[in-house]
Amino acid sequence: MKILFFTGKGGVGKSTMAASAAWQLARKYRVLIVSLDPAHNLGDIFDVTLKRGRKRFTNTLSLEEVDLKKMARAYLTRETKVLTDTYKYLQALNLDHYFSVLKYSPGIEEYALLTSIEKTIRGEKDFDYIIFDTPPTGLTIRFLALPQVTITWIDRLMAIRRQILEKRYTIQKIRRPLKEGETLNEIQLKFDENEDDIMQRLKTLHANYRQLTAILQGKDCGVVLVFNPDLLSLRESERLIEGLHDLKLPLRLLIQNKVTEENRKNAEQVLSSLRASAKTPAPASYVALNKALAVSGSCLYDIPEDLGANLEY
Amino acid sequence: MLYDMGTAQRESLVSLTCLEVQELENIFALLLMGSFVGLPAPPTFLSVELLPFMEKELRILNQRAEDSHDMLAEIMGNLGID
Repeated sequence: MKILFFTGKGGVGKSTMAASAAWQLARKYRVLIVSLDPAHNLGDIFDVTLKRGRKRFTNTLSLEEVDLKKMARAYLTRETKVLTDTYKYLQALNLDHYFSVLKYSPGIEEYALLTSIEKTIRGEKDFDYIIFDTPPTGLTIRFLALPQVTITWIDRLMAIRRQILEKRYTIQKIRRPLKEGETLNEIQLKFDENEDDIMQRLKTLHANYRQLTAILQGKDCGVVLVFNPDLLSLRESERLIEGLHDLKLPLRLLIQNKVTEENRKNAEQVLSSLRASAKTPAPASYVALNKALAVSGSCLYDIPEDLGANLEY
Repeated sequence: MLYDMGTAQRESLVSLTCLEVQELENIFALLLMGSFVGLPAPPTFLSVELLPFMEKELRILNQRAEDSHDMLAEIMGNLGID
């Protein structure tokens, strides 16, 4: 199964390009296209409503729009449930109050985004290609970086936790052994790594993110960069390429959209400077600005240029 | 009686380590739950993910916040300085 992320500055035509690529790949493969952009327009491109979940457009092409707000809510509800299960007896801390704070935290939405990608990648076995249409650059880089940032954090936390457990162990050893039939008033603290809930949870999370990073950096995953022949788009794309390079995520294809006769020269310049900033060579495609298509608005996904050929790897 | 004296000595031996553990747990909680007390937070979802198991740490965090107006006295007390 191949995974593709379509990224780029807002308005360059990411969604349209993603839709076109999906449409072309669907001639040969089973394709799922998922829109992660909070301002969805995948449904508009294919002229269907995707409000009620996934839809089969043709036999080989499925469409989905992810509702981030709903995902964030579902995630919090799930955690609250674990929380109330563990804390049945503890009312004093007023934890609901803490949760109402978390609801407004910006981190949750990115996490929901990552969770939805993870769920799709792990859960779907019936597709040859999964195409993600991502939100604009800033958010995309942030959530793609999330697994690696998290691993660093978890590493630090695990180190501290380990220290705590070691100290607890020492205390336990120095204190006299219990007399027979004697019980302690205070709660016995866990000092074994395998018994400590927090350590266990940290370890699970660590393994989870390791795996996800491996998938994202692996050979079946790739990023497609969409840009226009103008300066702003060039600068942002350069930053994006840099970001992807830092995260060790492979760049698969460069698509230059909205190319016309007049800006053709510009387009070539933009492409060559982007190629120079990309450390690894990636193929590139030009897509012409098609005024008739843009105005009529029907079959936006059906473009004459062949994007599929470069994406079969 | 000798037995109890032994116990007392053991307790006084571990008391400093106990203090250290408590401080470590406080730091751990602060790093994870910093957003609750106004510190810039790490990835929020990590806090949420671990929240169910953080009861003791949260209590310590609370206690520290309550005692913070008289930090010096607390340190003196903990180190046994009169």
